[in-house]
Amino acid sequence: MRLPESQVAVLNAASATDEQTIDSLADETGLKPETVTQAAFELRDEGYVAVSEEERVEYDLTDEGREYVEDGLPEVRLYRAAVEAGATEDAVGMGQVIGASGLGGPEVDIALANFGRKGYGQIESGQLSADADADAEDDPESVVLTALEAGEAVVDEGVLEQLVSRNLVERHEQTVRSVTLTEAGVTLLMEGVEAAETVDRLTPEMLTSGEWEDVEFTEYNVEADAPEVNGGKTHILRQTADRVKDVLVGMGFQEMEGPHADADFWINDCLFMPQDHPARTHWDRFALDVPPIEDVPEDLVDRVEDAHRNGVGDDGDGYHSPWSEDFARAIALRGHTTSLSMRYLSGHEVGDLEPPQRYFSVEKVYRNDTLDPTHLLEFYQIEGWVMAEDLSVRDLMGTFEEFYAQFGITDIQFKPHYNPYTEPSFELFGRHPETGELIEIGNSGMFRDEVLEPLGVECDVMAWGLALERLLMLMYGFDDIRDVHGTMSDIELLRETEVLR
Amino acid sequence: MPVVDVHPDELRQLTGHDDKSDQEFKDDLFALGLEFEGETEDGAFQLEFGPDRLDRLSVEGVARSLRYQYGDARGVYVPKTNDPDFTFVVDEDVPEERPYVTGAVIRGVDLDEDALDSLIQLQEKLHATMGRKRAKGAIGIHDLTMIKGEVLREDTSGNSITYTGVDPQGDTFVPLDGDREMTPAEVLDEHQTGQKYADLVGEYDRYPAIYDELGLFSFPPVINGRRTEVSTESRELLVELTGTDQWTIDRMCNIVCYALDARGATIEEVEVEYPDRTAVRPDFEVDTKSVPHERIETMLGVDFEAREVVDLFERSGLDADVNVDDARDDAADQSDTVYEVSIPPYRVDILHPLDLVDDVGRAYGFNELEPRYPNVGTVGGRHERSRLEDAARASLVGLGFEDMLNFHMTSEAEVHDRMNVEAGSDYLGGGDPARITGPYSEDYTILRTWALPSLAMVLENNTHRAYPQDLAEIGLVAERDDSVNTRVRERRHVAAVLARHDATFEDAKGRLQALCRDFGVELETPATTHPSFIDGRVAGVRIDGDDVGVVGELHPRVLVEHDLELPVAAFEFNLDALR
Repeated sequence: MRLPESQVAVLNAASATDEQTIDSLADETGLKPETVTQAAFELRDEGYVAVSEEERVEYDLTDEGREYVEDGLPEVRLYRAAVEAGATEDAVGMGQVIGASGLGGPEVDIALANFGRKGYGQIESGQLSADADADAEDDPESVVLTALEAGEAVVDEGVLEQLVSRNLVERHEQTVRSVTLTEAGVTLLMEGVEAAETVDRLTPEMLTSGEWEDVEFTEYNVEADAPEVNGGKTHILRQTADRVKDVLVGMGFQEMEGPHADADFWINDCLFMPQDHPARTHWDRFALDVPPIEDVPEDLVDRVEDAHRNGVGDDGDGYHSPWSEDFARAIALRGHTTSLSMRYLSGHEVGDLEPPQRYFSVEKVYRNDTLDPTHLLEFYQIEGWVMAEDLSVRDLMGTFEEFYAQFGITDIQFKPHYNPYTEPSFELFGRHPETGELIEIGNSGMFRDEVLEPLGVECDVMAWGLALERLLMLMYGFDDIRDVHGTMSDIELLRETEVLR
Repeated sequence: MPVVDVHPDELRQLTGHDDKSDQEFKDDLFALGLEFEGETEDGAFQLEFGPDRLDRLSVEGVARSLRYQYGDARGVYVPKTNDPDFTFVVDEDVPEERPYVTGAVIRGVDLDEDALDSLIQLQEKLHATMGRKRAKGAIGIHDLTMIKGEVLREDTSGNSITYTGVDPQGDTFVPLDGDREMTPAEVLDEHQTGQKYADLVGEYDRYPAIYDELGLFSFPPVINGRRTEVSTESRELLVELTGTDQWTIDRMCNIVCYALDARGATIEEVEVEYPDRTAVRPDFEVDTKSVPHERIETMLGVDFEAREVVDLFERSGLDADVNVDDARDDAADQSDTVYEVSIPPYRVDILHPLDLVDDVGRAYGFNELEPRYPNVGTVGGRHERSRLEDAARASLVGLGFEDMLNFHMTSEAEVHDRMNVEAGSDYLGGGDPARITGPYSEDYTILRTWALPSLAMVLENNTHRAYPQDLAEIGLVAERDDSVNTRVRERRHVAAVLARHDATFEDAKGRLQALCRDFGVELETPATTHPSFIDGRVAGVRIDGDDVGVVGELHPRVLVEHDLELPVAAFEFNLDALR
């Protein structure tokens, strides 16, 4: 039979009658103790050896203890100096004795404390007297220290405890394992065993030479943790965006693209947002310190201005608000991606659009909101619209139910709402898939005639929007968006974040 | 969005539905579009709603809407008014910036604390919304008995007050919450409310002012005088509104009058005498719009009979006349049916017949509609730019980079100073940034000109995290460029950093090579200089012959500036080069 080399060595060294410790087997086989241990356990698992365990206590000298074996215990040295100075007759000045003993530093205190404890003499008012009958030369602590240093067995527990408390000796408890051959082991040996070579790593040479056929692979501890590996990962918010894009493309939506910095004309005026609307004041938007937009389609500007001032249709009314083209031409960071929808619907992005059409974007918008766990100055807006003849509110509801169902949000409710650019308008509410709570999940509506007529759109368009971050938080349980978006991002958190599926 | 505090006890009283529970009210209000946001300490609902139905900015208006919803009220309601006794004379001295005035006299008022609170809340909410923080319209309400009207002309017995302009340092009055006579200029300087609204009139040569026989008693749109302060003891009120648009202040006035009418008061008209014309106010004229039956059906996706539609209009507080004689006959063909819809004067949100269709939908109950998936086929697809970006991101992640997402807004210090790049230089990132006008935070003053500074900041904020830190980002960078239509040149850049104890130029270039190989483009890296990088260890990124970026080892000065204690190799280039 072939066994790994180490197991063969241990089998040969072990005896069926005498227990042998791992250490003695290691000596005999020339293997490392841990290798012997591993081989012994492997043989035991096969039934060839028995392994017994015994808890043993061992004492080792500390550095200080070893020093005293060499120099003598401080109190013994003090006693010798005292005897020398004649302190067995009359008390001698302490300073004189210490000086003569050659003790220094902390040794002095140690010497004085133990001198008294062991009855080597007395110290009174700075005078030291020594007991002539004391047997300092056979001090039991010295004897034990010397014996331990020589590796001899010591049985005097009391003295050992004393030395441990003086920190001259350390106590160790150790499991000592001993090995004996079992009957199966003896039989195996009699039948004969051969050593197989064991290897740590499979090498190219082994494969080409065919040597792999004759080797045993050392076993690894496969349950132990491996060192950390950090691969790259797509950002969690990008993953969410990709998921949304997948769903929308699957529903027949085309992706839009356009400028982040744009004229207020495209961002707000086309949307029939009156120029004195609170959202268009300085505080809510990020105006840019650049000249006004160079070119906007003049006929479109005229139609948009007319819609603002006079409304559209026979019975339409305009806003009672000021309107100026200069204000419309000013450049700002877009507060919503509906500016893209306006550009596409106007026919100035990809040409005139004939119904039916579906378009979307998942892009960044900029708003001067209060920063909190769910609001940043920059966030992603999901924007989508459907253009077709005779769309009804029911079509809008059906589309959104389908979209949100893809994210596990069902039981959508439509709360009538107001937007300057849609009518009817709805805030969308849905049940949180985990908590069952009714939560706001978007804003939607049918674009008003005042929006569509100036753009030259002659059919219906329904649109909706929501923050991508909101979807991320609802669906995947994030509670503070600041940890992942922006330069304060925690790399560790990104590394630990689960991927979407 | 506006929030209005409405106590359920008051709703019970004003709607006459004593038996409604709080929860029933909340559900009914949600159906109206008023969302329950919380409760005040004394148990009032805080209701949030879209800023269209501004007539619901008080408990009286909310109760009126509920009464229509419950079917307790139907059709258009217009309060009766008494003939005018008071005249508002508009003087030629009125500031030209704020020329318009309107108002009403209210008699037989019985205001308890709740009603007075509600009136004050309504006034404030109207200021915040339609009034555009009082700039467009401001309401003053006075105790009429404290006003001594002048006899307008010898041949009339009427009382008059005068809307005029006053020298800022001219006449004095005691403002509300004030304890001494002040000139208007002193009010703006020293009075708390005056300071708050000083910007509205500060530039005017003459300030708006209202006088009676006793003198100046109101300084719109800033503050009323103390003499005419309204209390629960007040039985007769004078309401005046001034502003920059007549229609706006007339509608604000109507909403106030309707609320007081709901409290049992009598509305009395006033004459407003402009130098060139005279008008009687409040203007309770009922507007009409035509709504085709077909439009209602296609918009809501429901087939209706005409009498159902008329019923829904009436339940919305509107009236509808039908143009076709037999339209109300259930069997009638409705293709030519058009409704002539009457709109009460407190509605400020009806700009187009569509808005009336919305009312029909709300009265019908939008949540009663059966959703259906629109039966139109379209082909979906991604934009070329976003496909390219995703492909490049997938390659970077495959190369082991952690994909980052940073803000596009940052500061000049981050993109220039801290990267050792001089503004206005030709180096990558050195361009003229698009600046935010009047930035709110010194951390966000520009759009970033390049992306590596953002990654350097992420490294700076993560020095306590395990290395190596290999980070990449594909994102927007921008520069001011007046030759572009929007004056801002926007690009997508690919940026990457390798922060590791042994990072070298080769680590960055090797990954850049791999990326270029994935996209089948030819990469050259001619030696160059860039102040963010170590001389001799920096190269241009030339892809298919175009210079599109930079690759190298970041300069120790940049590393130390970002508290980094290990080398960083990096690259950045224009994503379009991978097309």
